[in-house]
Amino acid sequence: MPSAEEISDWIFGIVARQAKVDVSKLSPASTFKDLAVSSLTAIEVIFEIEERFDITFPDQDANLATDTLQHLVEITTAALLRKSGQASPG
Amino acid sequence: MGAVSAFGVGAETLWRQLSGGTSGIRPLRHPEAAQLRVNVAAQVPPTFDPGAYFPEATLTMLDRSSQFALIAANEAVSQAGLAFGTGQLSARTGVVIGCGVGGETTHDEQSRRLYKDNAVRLHPLTIVRIMINAPASQISIAHGLRGPAFVVASACASSNHGIAQAMQMIRSGLADVVLTGGTDSCFSFGHLRAWESMRVLADDTCRPFSANRRGLVLGEGAAVFVLESLAHAQARGARILAELAGFGMSSDARDIVAPDANGAATAMALALADAGLKAEDIDYVNAHGTGTRANDVVETRAIRQVFGPHAEKLAVSSTKSMHGHALGAAGALELVAVVCGLRDGIVPPTANFDQADPECDLDYVPNTARALKIRAALSNSFAFGGLNAVLAVAQI
Repeated sequence: MPSAEEISDWIFGIVARQAKVDVSKLSPASTFKDLAVSSLTAIEVIFEIEERFDITFPDQDANLATDTLQHLVEITTAALLRKSGQASPG
Repeated sequence: MGAVSAFGVGAETLWRQLSGGTSGIRPLRHPEAAQLRVNVAAQVPPTFDPGAYFPEATLTMLDRSSQFALIAANEAVSQAGLAFGTGQLSARTGVVIGCGVGGETTHDEQSRRLYKDNAVRLHPLTIVRIMINAPASQISIAHGLRGPAFVVASACASSNHGIAQAMQMIRSGLADVVLTGGTDSCFSFGHLRAWESMRVLADDTCRPFSANRRGLVLGEGAAVFVLESLAHAQARGARILAELAGFGMSSDARDIVAPDANGAATAMALALADAGLKAEDIDYVNAHGTGTRANDVVETRAIRQVFGPHAEKLAVSSTKSMHGHALGAAGALELVAVVCGLRDGIVPPTANFDQADPECDLDYVPNTARALKIRAALSNSFAFGGLNAVLAVAQI
């Protein structure tokens, strides 16, 4: 399983590229809404994260307009833990 | 008028369930259901047996979407009491069917043979089953209709765009009678997977305008109507169901998926103007009402924009809560609800409505049908791609 830092770096990289902003402009509290990411781009981000980590988010895990990048990191970590058979912390 | 829906075959079957507030949404029936996140759907019931409707030689040419369209057309023609023969009437009768997806079931079956089973040849009738014009062609052939026949495609608004086109053909004198409506059936593994990735499908049921709505629920089916001018209908002593009074069409020209209140409002206003109706003449709006977060708020705003203070008096409902979102067939199934509602003085409800949403603040006729004399109604369809088509229907 990738480290917390690797997961975070990958997700920030994907969002920066899709949102066409410099990764230095992103913070864990950034939302798609703040970044003016459209709903279509948002589902592309979700798709790319799923493809990168070979995971599937349950439909209602992500609220694409208002979720923070930190939330994306958390649901990705949880999905990876599920995949590796460990219980999700918390 | 004829229909095939989640309630089975028959327009009256559909109306009985809609006016009873019964939802046809059930757990998804699919060979790959266990692998799919899609878990509910409004599918034509498993008791549906195409073999009971078509001889084998015909059936082999028909994708599921064409089967539905033909069965609905046969019912409509039979109810209308039309015998087309081979003379003038058959030459002056057209077919315009809305279809958003086309021969998806066949496409998926044959792709599976090709890519999974490594088949070296596909069924020789694959093309004639898949081609998106197949439903219109099959109806034309079955009834010997020699006027213009084609399919109109605008995703979820296909039926309404098609019916509007049929109306223009009657108005312009291009045809005396047009069989029109819509059909779609797209419960293939690939198509369902594609919808999953869009993340707009509900995992419980379809709850339009309700605060706890979680998205749309896919449906399938067809509905077909016999459209003719008033003079033509009267001359042959037809039992007239309703007047298709006008239509309005517009395009958002903005986002490929996000709905736009201005585009929707423009189509509604144009439908009223085309029908020569004022906002105050409308008693009922059959909403597009998909049950997605975005549609229901934007549609509510658009209705307020068009109707002003009269919006408070409108009954608005989404029958998609019962027959699901049948994509290219949606507007036609909804027109059955509108026509029967006008005839019987009943507004079909929005089923599964259980929590008011402050952003959806109209009268959505929650859960139970309402007795109401409907003088005239609008039926909304707004498609991915930003394509809007609205029909106006009035008492004859």
